[in-house]
Amino acid sequence: MSPSKTVVRESMEKSLFGKSTKSKVVERLVFALFRLSTYFVLLCAATIFVDIVYKGGKTVFRSEFPFLNVEFLSDSPQTLHVFEHQGRKYEMSDSKFRSFREGIDEPIVTETYAYSGGGIWPCIAGTLLLVAGAMIIAMTLGVLSAIFLSEYSRPGKILNAVRLSILNLAGVPSIVFGIFGMGMFVLAFGWNVSLIAGWFTLAFMVLPIIISASEESMRAIPQGMRDASFALGATQWTTIRTNVLPYAMPGILTSSIIGVARVAGETAPIMFTAAYALRDQLPWEGLERWYDLFFQGVMALPYHIYVVSAKIPQNEYTSRMQYGTAFVFLFIIAAIALSSILLRIRMRKKYRW
Amino acid sequence: MDKRSFKSRYQLACNRKSFLGLTRESALKGLFGGNAFVSIVVLGLITLFLFKEGAGFFGQYRDSLLLYRQSGLEYVELMRGQQNALSALTRYLNSIRSRQVEKLAEEGYDFQESRAITEESEDFFYDFEDLAVPLREHVIEANEILSAARDSYQEMQNLSEHRKSLLESGRQDEADALEIREIDFALFFDIVKSRESEYIEINENLIRGIEEILPSVPYFGDAELQAKTERFKELAEMFIEEVSKFEENVLAWERARSVPISEAFTSFIFGKKWVTNSSIQDWYGLIPLMSGSFLVALVAMFFAVPLGIGAAIYVNQVARSLERDLIKPYIEFISAIPSVVIGFFGIAVFGTLIREVSGWESLAWIDFFPISERLNAFTAGGLLALMAIPTIFTLAEDALNNVPLSYKEASMAMGSTRLQTILRIIVPTALSGIISAVLLGFGRVIGETMVVLLCAGNRIEIPRFAEGIGVVFEPVHTMTGIIAQELGEVVHGSMHYRALFMVGLVLFLISLLINYFAQKIVMKFQISRG
Amino acid sequence: MSLVSLRLQKEIKMDTPAVDSQRVDRNRPLIRISDFDFSYGDKQALFDINMDIAEHKVTAFIGPSGCGKSTLLRCLNRMNDLIESARINRGKVEVNGVDIYDERVDATELRKRIGMVFQKSNPFPKSIYENVIYGLRIQGIKKKSQLDETVERCLKGAALWEEVKDRLDTSGLSLSGGQQQRLCIARAMAVGPEVLLMDEPCSALDPVATAKIEELIHELKNDYTIVIVTHNMQQAARVSDQTAFFYMGNLIEMNATDQIFMSPDKEQTEAYISGRFG
Repeated sequence: MSPSKTVVRESMEKSLFGKSTKSKVVERLVFALFRLSTYFVLLCAATIFVDIVYKGGKTVFRSEFPFLNVEFLSDSPQTLHVFEHQGRKYEMSDSKFRSFREGIDEPIVTETYAYSGGGIWPCIAGTLLLVAGAMIIAMTLGVLSAIFLSEYSRPGKILNAVRLSILNLAGVPSIVFGIFGMGMFVLAFGWNVSLIAGWFTLAFMVLPIIISASEESMRAIPQGMRDASFALGATQWTTIRTNVLPYAMPGILTSSIIGVARVAGETAPIMFTAAYALRDQLPWEGLERWYDLFFQGVMALPYHIYVVSAKIPQNEYTSRMQYGTAFVFLFIIAAIALSSILLRIRMRKKYRW
Repeated sequence: MDKRSFKSRYQLACNRKSFLGLTRESALKGLFGGNAFVSIVVLGLITLFLFKEGAGFFGQYRDSLLLYRQSGLEYVELMRGQQNALSALTRYLNSIRSRQVEKLAEEGYDFQESRAITEESEDFFYDFEDLAVPLREHVIEANEILSAARDSYQEMQNLSEHRKSLLESGRQDEADALEIREIDFALFFDIVKSRESEYIEINENLIRGIEEILPSVPYFGDAELQAKTERFKELAEMFIEEVSKFEENVLAWERARSVPISEAFTSFIFGKKWVTNSSIQDWYGLIPLMSGSFLVALVAMFFAVPLGIGAAIYVNQVARSLERDLIKPYIEFISAIPSVVIGFFGIAVFGTLIREVSGWESLAWIDFFPISERLNAFTAGGLLALMAIPTIFTLAEDALNNVPLSYKEASMAMGSTRLQTILRIIVPTALSGIISAVLLGFGRVIGETMVVLLCAGNRIEIPRFAEGIGVVFEPVHTMTGIIAQELGEVVHGSMHYRALFMVGLVLFLISLLINYFAQKIVMKFQISRG
Repeated sequence: MSLVSLRLQKEIKMDTPAVDSQRVDRNRPLIRISDFDFSYGDKQALFDINMDIAEHKVTAFIGPSGCGKSTLLRCLNRMNDLIESARINRGKVEVNGVDIYDERVDATELRKRIGMVFQKSNPFPKSIYENVIYGLRIQGIKKKSQLDETVERCLKGAALWEEVKDRLDTSGLSLSGGQQQRLCIARAMAVGPEVLLMDEPCSALDPVATAKIEELIHELKNDYTIVIVTHNMQQAARVSDQTAFFYMGNLIEMNATDQIFMSPDKEQTEAYISGRFG
């Protein structure tokens, strides 16, 4: 190697080899900070999950067969009686306590804890009914409206205005829908606190989300696909049925599952429209006419959590119930949300254009 | 070729099967259109309904304020203001005394001994308290007279309503049996007004009394207590000066002044009190709720903005693809946690945790620690941050993702480091998207109900911002929380009911405003990028 | 950062006599690629590449789409580092005798020495002025006179100065396609590289703009070593001194441009050049 080449090489090395400059240290620090903040968020959420799953799991699961706390999942909320009898300590829900007391002559002194005995079956049933009804209404109105807006309506100022206002309504706080439902359905229509008032309130709450998401996924389909179908002599409806809806379906489904999670998870809109703090009968019990089903309030999981966490004090006995309810509720919501995320990942792989 | 024959050869209009003049196509279009129409109408109806229910509020509130003035209760309230200032002074004095007792206990005196010591200064405390008595009694008497008048006025109002409905249903004799008197507020008020000279006399005695006993303020050897007594002297002198102002206001007060509708409006929007079911006067002022809402939101955004954007940058630019594929769904999953569960966690765990942490020895140097309330703006804000982070993260990550890869390549090809590329090219390009993400996150926080209802402490007072950062550990109430808490108990159509609708309307408008700006910023950004 | 790099630049300048003496030797290889295998994940993109790129010459990479010419180009200033799955299986790339994939080599420093212009013009959404001095800004240079001087020198160098000198503060995105591309070249020049890599710089431009860029390349040859990827054979013939023909990730033939176009050694090269495939 000639001497001059060595010089060139050395100067090249000098300039290329990594120097631990200030900016690199800063870069490493800042990236570490970003990473830290990300994992901090994940950790915070994990704390909540672990806390509720761990403490709630103790209520819901059992170590011996059938491994589930059947009473908790199938009974109604009741007052819990805690008492000592003949040297043994008992914890009993109200109904069991009554039958227990009948066999005993001496009076029993008990401590009582509201809502802490029994189970949460009426809440689960009520939530399922609320979600089912609200989603049927919202999906019908929402998807059909989206088809109209995306496929039939003429683009222009009015359409843009409609689209913009629907988008804006999607951001309106749920409590606002709550007072609307209360004023409109419960009071003005005289439906009182009832399943049907809750359905409509929840349906209108998710309607903007479903319309805008469905329309978005329909508009994302290239115009060329429609044109090709028209050019082959298909009618508008045939085109929509064969060339728009199938490809928009993943988007519509995802948005509707997000809608389900939202409907099931919200408390504020049903507080005044559909939820009772306590109701002895299950929704389908004691109906005089079939449509009475719609005009009765129900218990619902989110409202129940609100009631038991806000209105009764925390202690050993009540917190079992509180955590159990939160766990079951979180489990339901998580299952819905997870299925939406998985569905979207699968659908994205399947449909690509 | 002749046009007509062309047309007949290529007949394009086709006869589809139709039913009642509708082809299947147009029937379907009608179905979709009908649905769209219903949805849009209903969503529009929500807005109208809120306005309709809310709008009646101002009329009712004005009437209520007018009644408050005409009945003269407002006049009493002015005097009560003075009385309250005096009792605040007394409270301050008492705090000195209780501090003294505490100190003595710390120094190891037993109860008897410390009692003997405090007895020396006792006379002064009692004398001062006695000075407040005449004013208090005067206020109570005036209040009793006027509120009795107001109550019977309201009763008469109800009776005449009742009579009207009786007459409408044709029950003449029952209606006639109702005895309805006219209540003339002026008569009652004149009684009170005629005692104004007494009030002035009371004030003169009060000032003289304070001035007389002020020199005999007990002397404490202790520096802290002594400083407090000095402060008390200052406060007392300030009070003496204020008395004349109170007096002026009381004398200048006019019963006949009318209440314009704008006053009802301003005392809602800028009102500093939210008091319901009060025996004197209900107040519907938005400021305590709004300031609470914003305080909670600020706390939440303080955490959520750096964390959310930091996480978005990390996941989009720094993380490896496996990390990204795991973190993104996880954060989206966080957004699905129902707010009531987070609120429950706040009550069960987080609030207590914060209070415990604030009691740590190592944190004792922070002057507002340890905190007394476990449920406060900070508890709610901290939890709301966790709810805002997914919103901010998802939208900001989207915005970062939309920055063309070519920008990154161009910057890297010029030898900039990854951090330089991120800070100088990627973040500025995505900035409008990030800003709108932050705005929407803010909207989510302002509109959230359950967490604040459960964790914010629900004290309807304007947070004491003057106290600095410590204000975030005060319990507050919020706009969403007040609706959730009070709507269940109000009478349909009452002023309280409508006031809650007005709060809902304000929330509605705030959220529309936030959404509007968020969209506007994003749109501007799309245009500028060409 | 700024002080260190400035000092280094000065040191390098002090070294320049040695470099200058080398400049006479026009055939000295500046970049030497030897036994180079490269893959994206499981898919191998380059097979056993050996080539020398001479200083102050224009080297053109030609070949059908997907033949690996752009990949190799991006390997020369380690732009492939940005792709997670990218991997070098064998061989090395030396610049002035330094293996640029040596772990001690700082990729950002390397990229300051080896600039790049992309297929699609990609000015930042900033003003023309800010676009040009971006490279200096990230080095922390703040002196206004130096910045102004650089902007003028580089825009003149990129033959854009006359067209934009009155509107330096308008957005770089407001320029036409050809102007944008020349702006990108000016931007790359501002960092003071020795080598300019151009990845199909004219593929999105009309014939007039293309002619301008080609003219520019001719002029730049005096100060820079240029490597250009092009799918346009006429362009390769017009602007380059050396041409390398790639096919399926292999370097088929590399020679002086005249040689390649007049009498290629390999049959595949001839087939491609005469338009029988590709």
